[in-house]
Amino acid sequence: MLLNNLKIAWRSILKNKLFSLINVIGLSIGLCSALVIGAIIYFDFSFDTFHKDKDRIYRVTSLFKSEGDEFPNRGVAVPLMRTFREGIPGVELTAPFMNTSFSKIENKKQDLLFKDGNDAILADDAYFQLFDYEWLAGDKQTALSEPAQVVLSQKKAEKYFPHKNMTDIVGSTLLYNDSINVKVTGVVADFEKNTDLKFNEFMSLSSAKMFNGKDIATNDRWNGTSSGDQLFLRVKDESSVAGIQSRLDALAKEHKNPATWAANDERLFQLQALSDIHFGGEHEDYPFNNSDHVASMKVLKSLAFVALFLLLLGCANFINLNSAQALTRAKEIGIRKTLGSSKKQVVRQFLGETVILTTMATMLSLLMAPFLLRQFADFLPQGIDLSVLYSVKGIIGIVILVVLVSLLSGFYPAFVLSKFRPATVLKGQFTKGDKGVRLRKTLTVFQFVVAQVFVIATLLVAKQLHFVMNSDMGINTETVAYVRTPWRDASKVKKERLFFQIKDIEGLSNVSKGGAPPASNSMSSTMLSYFKDGNETHQPTEILMGDTTYLKTYGIPLLAGRERMNDSIDEYVVNETFARAIGFQDPKEVVGTVVKLDTLQIPIVGLMRDFNQRSLRSDIKPLAIKGHYNGMSFTNIHFDLGKNPEQWTKSIDAVEQALASVYPDEELEVQFMDEMVEGFYRSEKSTVQLLKWATGLAILISCMGLMGLVVYTTERRVKEIGVRKVLGANLAQLNLLLCKEFLILVGIAFAIAVPISWYLIQEWMQEFAYKTSLSWWVFMVSGVGMVVVALAVIGARTYRTANINPVESLRNE
Amino acid sequence: MLLQLNDIFKWVNSGGQRIFLLKDINLEVEEGEFISVMGPSGSGKSTLLNVIGMLDTFDEGEYNFLDESVHSLKEKHRSNLYKQYIGFVFQSYHLLDELTVKENLEMPLIYKKIKGSERKAMVADMLDRFNIVGKKDLFPAQLSGGQQQLVGVARALIANPKLILADEPTGNLNSTQGEEIMELFKQLNDEGVTIIQVTHSEKNAEYGSRIINLLDGRMV
Repeated sequence: MLLNNLKIAWRSILKNKLFSLINVIGLSIGLCSALVIGAIIYFDFSFDTFHKDKDRIYRVTSLFKSEGDEFPNRGVAVPLMRTFREGIPGVELTAPFMNTSFSKIENKKQDLLFKDGNDAILADDAYFQLFDYEWLAGDKQTALSEPAQVVLSQKKAEKYFPHKNMTDIVGSTLLYNDSINVKVTGVVADFEKNTDLKFNEFMSLSSAKMFNGKDIATNDRWNGTSSGDQLFLRVKDESSVAGIQSRLDALAKEHKNPATWAANDERLFQLQALSDIHFGGEHEDYPFNNSDHVASMKVLKSLAFVALFLLLLGCANFINLNSAQALTRAKEIGIRKTLGSSKKQVVRQFLGETVILTTMATMLSLLMAPFLLRQFADFLPQGIDLSVLYSVKGIIGIVILVVLVSLLSGFYPAFVLSKFRPATVLKGQFTKGDKGVRLRKTLTVFQFVVAQVFVIATLLVAKQLHFVMNSDMGINTETVAYVRTPWRDASKVKKERLFFQIKDIEGLSNVSKGGAPPASNSMSSTMLSYFKDGNETHQPTEILMGDTTYLKTYGIPLLAGRERMNDSIDEYVVNETFARAIGFQDPKEVVGTVVKLDTLQIPIVGLMRDFNQRSLRSDIKPLAIKGHYNGMSFTNIHFDLGKNPEQWTKSIDAVEQALASVYPDEELEVQFMDEMVEGFYRSEKSTVQLLKWATGLAILISCMGLMGLVVYTTERRVKEIGVRKVLGANLAQLNLLLCKEFLILVGIAFAIAVPISWYLIQEWMQEFAYKTSLSWWVFMVSGVGMVVVALAVIGARTYRTANINPVESLRNE
Repeated sequence: MLLQLNDIFKWVNSGGQRIFLLKDINLEVEEGEFISVMGPSGSGKSTLLNVIGMLDTFDEGEYNFLDESVHSLKEKHRSNLYKQYIGFVFQSYHLLDELTVKENLEMPLIYKKIKGSERKAMVADMLDRFNIVGKKDLFPAQLSGGQQQLVGVARALIANPKLILADEPTGNLNSTQGEEIMELFKQLNDEGVTIIQVTHSEKNAEYGSRIINLLDGRMV
């Protein structure tokens, strides 16, 4: 029976090649995106799920609130670590660690020198009690108990001590930063499963002082927070979390920043569960300092929606085509029933066909999945692949998906088909009021609504992206580039030498020294106080560092006052927003006033024009530019490449040569401002990329669905068309007659899609301070485009039908 | 007695009017009879056949088949009943296009849940009996009309029905083919199968032992 069903199913699939093809392709596109997106989502949920007691591991993070803004910091003040070490009720284990890096590591015995000392932390034995590493050599209990002890990961150990046994490595000595002898006390295996804990060098925490780190035992800076200072802990049980949190709240209050400017600020200590770390919590902060990826719940959710909709589109196709086909198969069902088939057997047979088609579609989608994944490679984290699909879990998931999709898309058609009465269908009298019509139309409208929403969304997101990337930020971003000197090598002499070498390069102009570029992701901010009429205003202000040419390099004009006298004088040039923020109606009047920084009185000597310091998501913030004082020096050299692009390569080569001659050991690159600006919008760009794909696929599936429906409908109307032709209708009239019905559906879909997409885009644009207009023409263009596409699909078929010779269509059997 | 129809009425409502398809049909069929139903187009011949074959319902009256009252049976029982005792032969053969001759013959046996080995034997037997062994792997489209109808009859017979209902079995055939089919029916009838056929042709009707004439749903 089963075999027989399968055989019949297979043959009827072959018999209806076009329908089967549309079914399989439509479904496999939906399935393919579901699989790929499923793998992406699974990937992000698979991080750090393998630790023992993972549900009891938490991290303490800081959240700063100031003037309505929130600034998360994944680290904590160092004294908090001490407090926890001394014991907090409900905490079973405290494991603090600090990010660190080493400039030089030498294996004197084998005469090897290494430079990338990143991914290193200062940790103590508690770290290894908290996270269960596999120890290849050394003693887990005491490996980090003394100063100048280090545990290496297997890969690191193999690198530092090539061709040596793990057990032989323990006891060897490494020379760090030219002067610190450190004993290797253990080797642990690298985690094989997905993890954010990508540390591979564990220096004992008690050696912090040797590496200019902060000492937990003595440090008393409750108001300094570095994101690398991590405090992990294991709670006794779930119920102790609340108690620990209230203790944290009390500690935050007790050690509130006493400075007057911070009076309205607030700092919170928060407990973050291990499982939340990969998703960065509410602020989507990166998991650790050395992480290159944070999973965004928002992105994952939208991905899941895209997958769901594409899958539903595929299913809609299926239902549509199969129930449409029902009538052509009515005869077969009639015969089967007269031969004794029960309703159940008919349902089973058609569900069987659906299962076969779905399975075929799944196979196809598994073949296509790697290609689709590659399309998204640009914005996917490293290390993601589809191997999960072939694991036991993945296969079970796929089987469940196949069953669900089969039921979803096969049940209705099977049900409709099984209800036919043999006596009527065998006489060739199909019921005139074909009940499935309304459902099929609804499904088609649904498909086109989804496709249309995708189209409009893609156009508007792309428009917004074009808008923000091309709007004038108020600074020269096209021709300016800069180089960053290595922070480890703070030698002023070298910086000066580099500066003068670059200054001499032909074609470069306005070479200046400074800190970060005026628009960047990094910022430093301080609190300036201003007295007026006996009132003191505290104004959080972003600080830019640059010499007196800096503003010229970036084409930022002075609107009033003058540039600072020299690079190290305590003078400010502020922007218009700052002037307005401290209460000047006319920003120009700010020149000549004095602001206070802690105890220092600093005069404002000039006013610069406003420009965007960050992406156009955010507003322009109050800003001041200062020179270097307090012995701090500039880290970056900025220059204008000039108006002649042909010269650029030559100039850049010259800059790179200068870099190589001054810093032969470092790999430094020229950074371009336009790339920086592009970088602001990376996530928008990936959104556009994703939407483009989703749109293309949605249109493809919907058009296939439409085609199926058109084929079916026109076939049913062949007789009617024959009669009309005999009565004198011409080709154009017939085409119009046949197309009208479908164009109405596309029109309805458009009417539904416009408000939906308008709302969604409105929501999406919220995060931008600068928005493009939601022009009516975007909606029109997408609507017209959809009609044209639909018309092409419909027309191809109706033209053929309208051309059929009525003699043939009207001939009776 | 094989079956008995008492005061069968069947109607449809059209434009506020009741149109009778069958009107007061009383019919008794004994086992071993060969009945021909005749009448002009639209007189209710096929409807009567469908009612007898339990493919169609009726609105009034009683229908007893082998002492079971069909009118009070649930659909499932009804389908079990005709699955077991009735075979159908159609004017346009109604073979399943995507199945081979052999598979078409096998179909009713599958629905009767007969075991695979037994099915094979029965199909082979039937192929043999109808001399179509050479055609067993062909699809219906590869056969002539007469051969298709031959397969149709074979399929109707394969489950050893007591009654064969044939709706203009020769309607789509030429005279020679038609004659062959009718000869076959006669032979089957001689072997004890009850046959009810609908036909337009006086000549074919002559093969039957009894002729029922219908006009506007009434027996005349």
